[in-house]
Amino acid sequence: MEWLVRSWKAFGLLAFAAVILWGCAAKLAFGQDNYEIQVYGSDTVAPKTTMLELHSNFTVDGTKPLPGSVFAADRMYPTNHAEHETLEITQGINSWSEVGFYVFTSLRDGQGWQWVGDHIRPRVRVPDSWHWPVGVSLSTEIGYQRRTFSTDTWTWEIRPIVDKQIGRWYFAVNPALERSFHGETVNQGVGFSPNAKISYDFNKYISGGLEYYADYGSLRGFDSLHDQQQQFFPAIDLNVSPNWEINFGVGVGPTASTDHLIVKGIVGRRFDWTHHRPGGSESLQ
Amino acid sequence: MNRREFLTKSSAAAAMAAVGQPRLWSQAAADFHLAIAPLKLELAPGKHVETIAYNGQVPGPLIRWPEGKPITIDVSNHTDLPEIVHWHGLWIPSVEDGAMEEGSPMIAPGGQHRYSFIPKPSGLRWYHTHTYAGHDLKRGLYTGQFGCFYIEPKNEPGAYDQEVFLTLHDWNAYMGMATDASMDASYDYSTINDRMLGHGAPIQVKPDQRVVFRVVNASATVTHWLALAGHQMTVIALDGNPVPVPAPVSALRVAPAERADIVVEMNHPGVWVLGETRQDIRDAGMGIVIEYAGQQGEPKWIEPPEVLWDYRSFAHPEPSAHPPDQRVPLVFQSKFRGHGDFDYWTINGKSWPKADSVALEEGKRYRLAMRNKSTDDHPVHLHRHTFEVTSLDGKPLSGLRKDVVVVPANSTAEVDFLAANPGATLFHCHQQSHMDFGFMMLFQYA
Repeated sequence: MEWLVRSWKAFGLLAFAAVILWGCAAKLAFGQDNYEIQVYGSDTVAPKTTMLELHSNFTVDGTKPLPGSVFAADRMYPTNHAEHETLEITQGINSWSEVGFYVFTSLRDGQGWQWVGDHIRPRVRVPDSWHWPVGVSLSTEIGYQRRTFSTDTWTWEIRPIVDKQIGRWYFAVNPALERSFHGETVNQGVGFSPNAKISYDFNKYISGGLEYYADYGSLRGFDSLHDQQQQFFPAIDLNVSPNWEINFGVGVGPTASTDHLIVKGIVGRRFDWTHHRPGGSESLQ
Repeated sequence: MNRREFLTKSSAAAAMAAVGQPRLWSQAAADFHLAIAPLKLELAPGKHVETIAYNGQVPGPLIRWPEGKPITIDVSNHTDLPEIVHWHGLWIPSVEDGAMEEGSPMIAPGGQHRYSFIPKPSGLRWYHTHTYAGHDLKRGLYTGQFGCFYIEPKNEPGAYDQEVFLTLHDWNAYMGMATDASMDASYDYSTINDRMLGHGAPIQVKPDQRVVFRVVNASATVTHWLALAGHQMTVIALDGNPVPVPAPVSALRVAPAERADIVVEMNHPGVWVLGETRQDIRDAGMGIVIEYAGQQGEPKWIEPPEVLWDYRSFAHPEPSAHPPDQRVPLVFQSKFRGHGDFDYWTINGKSWPKADSVALEEGKRYRLAMRNKSTDDHPVHLHRHTFEVTSLDGKPLSGLRKDVVVVPANSTAEVDFLAANPGATLFHCHQQSHMDFGFMMLFQYA
């Protein structure tokens, strides 16, 4: 019964957030694009623990500059052969919440290494003690990015996260909603940008699977397939240590509005600031 | 065939065997009666757990009995699944030991069974369910089916003023992510005896008293560290057997199924917490208040200094004087089954019930040479015998007699035992999730 009450409370919270977003709806089409390419799991960073991640993405085949211009057709810097380096620092608050902070940068011939923008991302999750059959968390992200790298400078995202590990199989879905507060698509309302992942544990250390990233455009009416972003990343996760997070993938974008080929990598290191008693007390469950 | 299938197939036969023993109930009344039944247990106001327990209480009733005096214990099963009671640490026949794998009968739902044996050796033993839980974390040792069994020695030194029995347990288990990236049990609540810290009656003591605490870790899977704020504890016995070198400690480590007898000189008046050293587990409830006579106020917790737990602190550093007649190498490994499942476990490459059994010859001394190649620590338990710990990671020791020993991850341990109690003898890791998924083997007397 208690479970049911809590479930309804959480459901109500999500519904409320969705209504607020819908109420604010104008129009939007912005994502983190190719700076942080990651399907979120529901788990949060433990309290007194910091997760440091470096997202490195190289666009092998992306947008190209117009003849005689440094900008592409969308009046932004081209992504072709651009290296995006994103630093993500996440601090665990308690057993069910965390706050993440991003620094986006871009490196490209002729433009040097440039700061792109920053985001902050608080996240809460359903505590383990609720004993839900799936992992659920809710992330919200707000931030700024420079106009030369994005059509919109101030944006907000709300991202429900649902995941489940069953034996060797892992499933995650992130039906993210995005909104612009300043920029070209501010009048387009709430955009729908779902991500999903399925992977399989080949052994204790190597998991492989497929990640999916999309931007369908405004909820008022999805863009045509030609204008949607659709990316598929065969990806590998290496579970070499509880303190390390390593992910590699190669992404293919089949639609005209998507960068066609991207190589991505994530290397994360967990720093546990808790005081551990020597003698193995932490090694036994 | 896994442990569940093995138990299912063999429990039917055992139930039949149990049915064929009505004569037991027509005999004189037993010395003790345990009724296994569901229980809604209040750990603190507003915090309840649905569990299974003995006689409607947690822990079950203390069985205190003189060494060598025959005892009869009737057990009735009021649950919907077969049950069994294991008498942990006692040298008793296989059929009375309470392990299906050794030939003890399961008690069918609605059924009853009489255990009859002569309790020995003296010291702190305990009793608990010995059933399979698997993925059902509301069965087996995840429940409240445990209790203390104190076998009084013929010559009790009695060098203490007060005796307190403490059982440690964790409640409401669920599948959580373990540190080695596989799943393991996590818990909502932890208690000493049946109440969370601050919600039970305090233990009343007087200045200058010597109090002996007899501690049983009845958790299904969790190793616990205990400390008494403001006081030092002296370990006088481990697993119920007096240690050759009683030694003071500022914190006590007890793995699942391990026991420790500790003496505390009550020389620091106040109101204190005896609790888990890890704050998250203490916050989950594992602690009890120690209150000096005439003292009032909020119970205080003082973080103990760091402790490096080492069995050698309580043992002689010399090698054992008795060389073994035979060495039995045992290698422990895990089989990964996905980040979303428990691991499977093997001894010498095989999981129970396919694990090879080892033949014993009565009167011979055997050395179990254990190598733990996994990344988990294992509190391994030998039924119906007491062993001497003879080396840890290649370093010798002697005189330390136990029936559970922790073999840490990626380490070795050796224990010697005398084959002096004929009958099938079970050996297993006492972590419920490990024994359920293969970490078990049988010794058979020739």
